[in-house]
Amino acid sequence: MTEVVAIRELLDRFRNGDRQALNRLVSLVSRGEALEEVRVELSGIKHDARLIALTGNSGVGKSTLVGQLIEHIRSQGETVAVLACDPESVLTGGALLGDRVRMSAHAGDVGVWVRSLATTSGRQSVTAHLDLAAQLLAQYGFDHVILETVGAGQGDVAVDAIADVVVLLIQPEIGDELQWEKAGVLEVADVVVVHKGDLPGAAQTETQARELLNLPGCEETPVVRVSSKTKEGIAELWELLADLPSRQRVSSRDTRRLLRLVQEYIADQFAAWPEDMNSVAEDWAAGKLTDADAVQRILAHVVD
Amino acid sequence: MSHLTRAPRIVLAKVGLDGHDRGVKVVARGLRDAGCHVIYAGLWQQPEAVVQTVGDEDADWLGISILSGAHMTLVPRIMELLEAAGLEHVQVLLGGIIPDDDVPKLQELGVARVFGPGTSIPEIAKFVGAVGEPSDD
Repeated sequence: MTEVVAIRELLDRFRNGDRQALNRLVSLVSRGEALEEVRVELSGIKHDARLIALTGNSGVGKSTLVGQLIEHIRSQGETVAVLACDPESVLTGGALLGDRVRMSAHAGDVGVWVRSLATTSGRQSVTAHLDLAAQLLAQYGFDHVILETVGAGQGDVAVDAIADVVVLLIQPEIGDELQWEKAGVLEVADVVVVHKGDLPGAAQTETQARELLNLPGCEETPVVRVSSKTKEGIAELWELLADLPSRQRVSSRDTRRLLRLVQEYIADQFAAWPEDMNSVAEDWAAGKLTDADAVQRILAHVVD
Repeated sequence: MSHLTRAPRIVLAKVGLDGHDRGVKVVARGLRDAGCHVIYAGLWQQPEAVVQTVGDEDADWLGISILSGAHMTLVPRIMELLEAAGLEHVQVLLGGIIPDDDVPKLQELGVARVFGPGTSIPEIAKFVGAVGEPSDD
């Protein structure tokens, strides 16, 4: 754990606009450290930057679209910070974080900040405490904060709890009409982007999306066709995002937020493996404990 | 259980104009499997851009691959920029084709280690303090 004095010094430097201090603070909060100090620092501060999340299956072009948005935002003289999540190996804890390669046109531009984050556990599509990281970036002075999730697909609803605007990317030929009726990420999307809009079938997918998402009586979900290759639709998408009202922020006391707090609390407890649980791990490895029993014992230990 | 401790963060990049990235990609994959968080920054990077990446990513290590022979021009520039940015704590590794005669000069500039052809991945992983050895799990 970092010393209190060191954190105070970091916060001082952060207030003076020191970029390396910002960098270190983002690392600390994404590891679940210095959370209280950062919360106190940010409390009562009003900033305008909204957290815009991009989600969708892997290979749909999230990083590429972020790269295009960066270019568009910079061309308007505004600054942008990107939090890009990639999965971490459940087996080794290693991760190959390559998203920034698709955003490299602006490498070396101080108006662009990109952090690659490994999402632990393999289950969640975003790393913990990202909302705090986003607030730090906004407070530092970035005009926009974009979050790119792991390509988690249908179950990817964790972004809903922390983002102001959720953009779902789909591509042509994603499946038959029934795919659209499934619950999950489609329900939390504020905007649907039909990406790779230059491919054959894109127009049909766009029509399908519009018809099925906007049934009579439903709240309307905008559908935009975008091609990062031809840059068609990029400016329109950004305009749409800028005009979109923020969703009801999670500062409300809703059950989903509570659930997330519990998940984060448990995850924090496992920032380091509790040494006194080694015997449970050994018994489990030797087959003396069932999976469920082993989990129960470790959870009981954490709650104590 | 050792992988529950913090994984080393390493930025891998190629600077200058050489486009041979097979080696750096093998290293990226190998260090990932050894439990590192590898941030691959890609080809044709300028020293300024690499240093900004290292800072913004809050990396512990910077690994640079150079096969063009321009290392005595590019590396000193990178070391200078790291210091100017207040990133002296970042350790620099070098890989690629580096003549033996240049290695002491580079180390004098502050390069932690030069890994030449024939280096094994575990050797690099051990050097950066990666804890996971997937084959032993």
